[in-house]
Amino acid sequence: MPLEPFATSKPLTFGVELELQLVSLSDFDLTPASPDLMHLLKRKPFPGNVTPEITESMIEINSSVQTGYGALLAELLDIRATLVAAGDVLNIGIAGGGTHPFQHWSEQRISAKPRYQELSALYGYLAKQFTVFGQHVHIGCASGDDALFLLHALSRYIPHFIALSASSPFVQGHDSGFDSARLNSVSAFPLSGRAPFTLSWDDFSNVYFAKMERTRIIKSMKDFYWDLRPKPEYGTIELRVCDTPLTVERAAALAAYLQALCRHLLERTEAAPLEDDYLVYNYNRFQASRFGLDGVITHPKTYAQIPLRDDILATLALIEPHALALGSRDALPHLGAAAVEGGDAAFLRGQYERQGSAEGMVDAAIRRFRGR
Amino acid sequence: MPEFLAILTSLAWPFAITAAWLAGEFGQRWTGLPRISFYGLVGFVLAAPQLGVLPRPETGSALLLADVGFGLILFELGYRINLRWLRTNPWIGVTGLVEAGLTFVGVYFVANAFGTPLIDRLMLASLSMATSPATVVRVINEQKSSGQVTERALHLCALNCVLAVFAFNAAVGLWIFRTSEDVGDALWNSLVVLGVSAFTGAVFGLVVPGIVRLLGKLAQDATVAFALAVILLVAITYTLGLSPVVAALAFGLAARHRRVAFSQAQRNFGALGELLTVVLFVFAASTLDWRRVWAGAALAVALVLVRLLAKTAGVTAFAHLAGISWRKGALTGVALTPLSVFVILLIEHARHAGVAVVEELRAVAAVTMLLEVFGPIILQRALVGAREAPESNHAA
Repeated sequence: MPLEPFATSKPLTFGVELELQLVSLSDFDLTPASPDLMHLLKRKPFPGNVTPEITESMIEINSSVQTGYGALLAELLDIRATLVAAGDVLNIGIAGGGTHPFQHWSEQRISAKPRYQELSALYGYLAKQFTVFGQHVHIGCASGDDALFLLHALSRYIPHFIALSASSPFVQGHDSGFDSARLNSVSAFPLSGRAPFTLSWDDFSNVYFAKMERTRIIKSMKDFYWDLRPKPEYGTIELRVCDTPLTVERAAALAAYLQALCRHLLERTEAAPLEDDYLVYNYNRFQASRFGLDGVITHPKTYAQIPLRDDILATLALIEPHALALGSRDALPHLGAAAVEGGDAAFLRGQYERQGSAEGMVDAAIRRFRGR
Repeated sequence: MPEFLAILTSLAWPFAITAAWLAGEFGQRWTGLPRISFYGLVGFVLAAPQLGVLPRPETGSALLLADVGFGLILFELGYRINLRWLRTNPWIGVTGLVEAGLTFVGVYFVANAFGTPLIDRLMLASLSMATSPATVVRVINEQKSSGQVTERALHLCALNCVLAVFAFNAAVGLWIFRTSEDVGDALWNSLVVLGVSAFTGAVFGLVVPGIVRLLGKLAQDATVAFALAVILLVAITYTLGLSPVVAALAFGLAARHRRVAFSQAQRNFGALGELLTVVLFVFAASTLDWRRVWAGAALAVALVLVRLLAKTAGVTAFAHLAGISWRKGALTGVALTPLSVFVILLIEHARHAGVAVVEELRAVAAVTMLLEVFGPIILQRALVGAREAPESNHAA
């Protein structure tokens, strides 16, 4: 089946998906509670949308399509309140964070949906080890060409989103040393990485995708696990590198950051994206996931070494007029503070020290998600 | 010859425990049924009145060992209880009170229909309210089950055990005072025992985590420290005539709410817990006499059925309000079936305290035998039916 045409959506509209952890309040391990939670949530209309995920200890929520940061934040807060109330009825803790710090992958239960059973059979332990939790942000694009332009122009900024959202320092009971260890799980998949370089939708669809389809390795866009991928049926590009932050406030701010950045890039005042930009891509991505805000990235055009924190603060200043125009200015101080004071990964490490255990850290993450 | 007999007697327990463990392991592999059902069967068969391999329960420290095993399980149960849940979802508490109340009333009337004397009826009804924490915790851990049925079975079990201890102690008090005018005194005494036991446990729950915290390295040291504390606590309650059930439960509760970590590897208290569980279940079944079992069979079947009915009805009635499906509600009620170990230990304690009446609770032997074997199986089926136990753990 050839790739469907790129649906047009209102440029710079946006929406957020969050994968959330379901935690037992007895032992703070992940618990396969999604069937019970979904059952309870079905009784009342849900703000936005909620769906089960590949393992039963995970759910995904998504916002509606929004135009501004204020409305997005309000909706996410509403979703959070609904989830927290349901969790209270069922004795389930709900938390953000890119990984659960001590869940054991072999204990995870794969959902009953046929698609997930197939994925599990194909990928084996990778599917279970993929019990990681990400935030996806969709940005509406006027055309397929715009989508591909944005997708490649954003490649230079990918480390910003990794570092600002990083919330997965612990894996299988130990501090991994990474701020976002989750990204390493994603990289294990054969179809992960970045999209091929082309700025023409026609080229992407009729040459690249058509060839890949003929190889029969893939059937649809869903089979690509790229950091950024076009979503033709929505008319969007989807950013997939973020860990689920510990709070919905951070999630909304990250989406607003991306939205304002896209508005800036669409003015095309920066040097046009090139295939050669990707020479530094993987290493920059590694710096951000390993060292978070303390990472140092290499500029794809000048090859200058720039501390990631400085680059983020400079970009926040650069896009301020765009955020203002989009009504999203309030999101920027939130991110600026995070960049200076340290993000969720630093918070989690601090809690581990203070509480003296990984369980205590999960408990702190649950309380942080609740907003008190 | 007498020396030879003495040697044989001293071998009886190690032999019985080994046999039970083997039966549990092979039985579980071949049939997929819970191990503890097999422990119970072996204990019953080897007991003094049956094959006579084991000595009579009074002659030895097996009761204390069993108590420690039970204490460890109760601590773990307490540790898994979230008191805050009872506040955020008050229907859990309501469910617990109603299902225990319905069971009490149901059993009382059935026993009445069989012509059981008043005091026996009260004791039977009190005991029937409980769900055996030993079976519930063991089967849930063995099945690695989790979900609402699991979670609710644990919470309701803790709740109805406390209610049962209270009601049973009150009934025993009545028997001691002999007259029904002393209902008030009996209730008050029972309440005091309950209160002091809970207080003792809670003190442990505050002190022990503090000491553990001083030692640092939570993950490694906590298991041994908690196990030792449970042993000490059980010994203390034993000596003072308090309720080890309530004390160990309160210990777990207080420790949990102090939030000292207890990592997953220490479920069941590791090898120590496994071992004591075998002792516990073998011991419990070895106190039963087939003659009593047979004599009380008819009443027992009626009691088990009415109890199952009352618990299922009580939990199901509030299922929707409490936030789960009717089906899961009914399965939670069914999951509350196990009873045996709890009852046997309570009765053994009453016997030690010189309450002779328990000897006459004829139906109890039969009820406990039935549920010692079938309780774990029914619970396991309920968890599987609710899709809360992963398939691979119950496949034959």
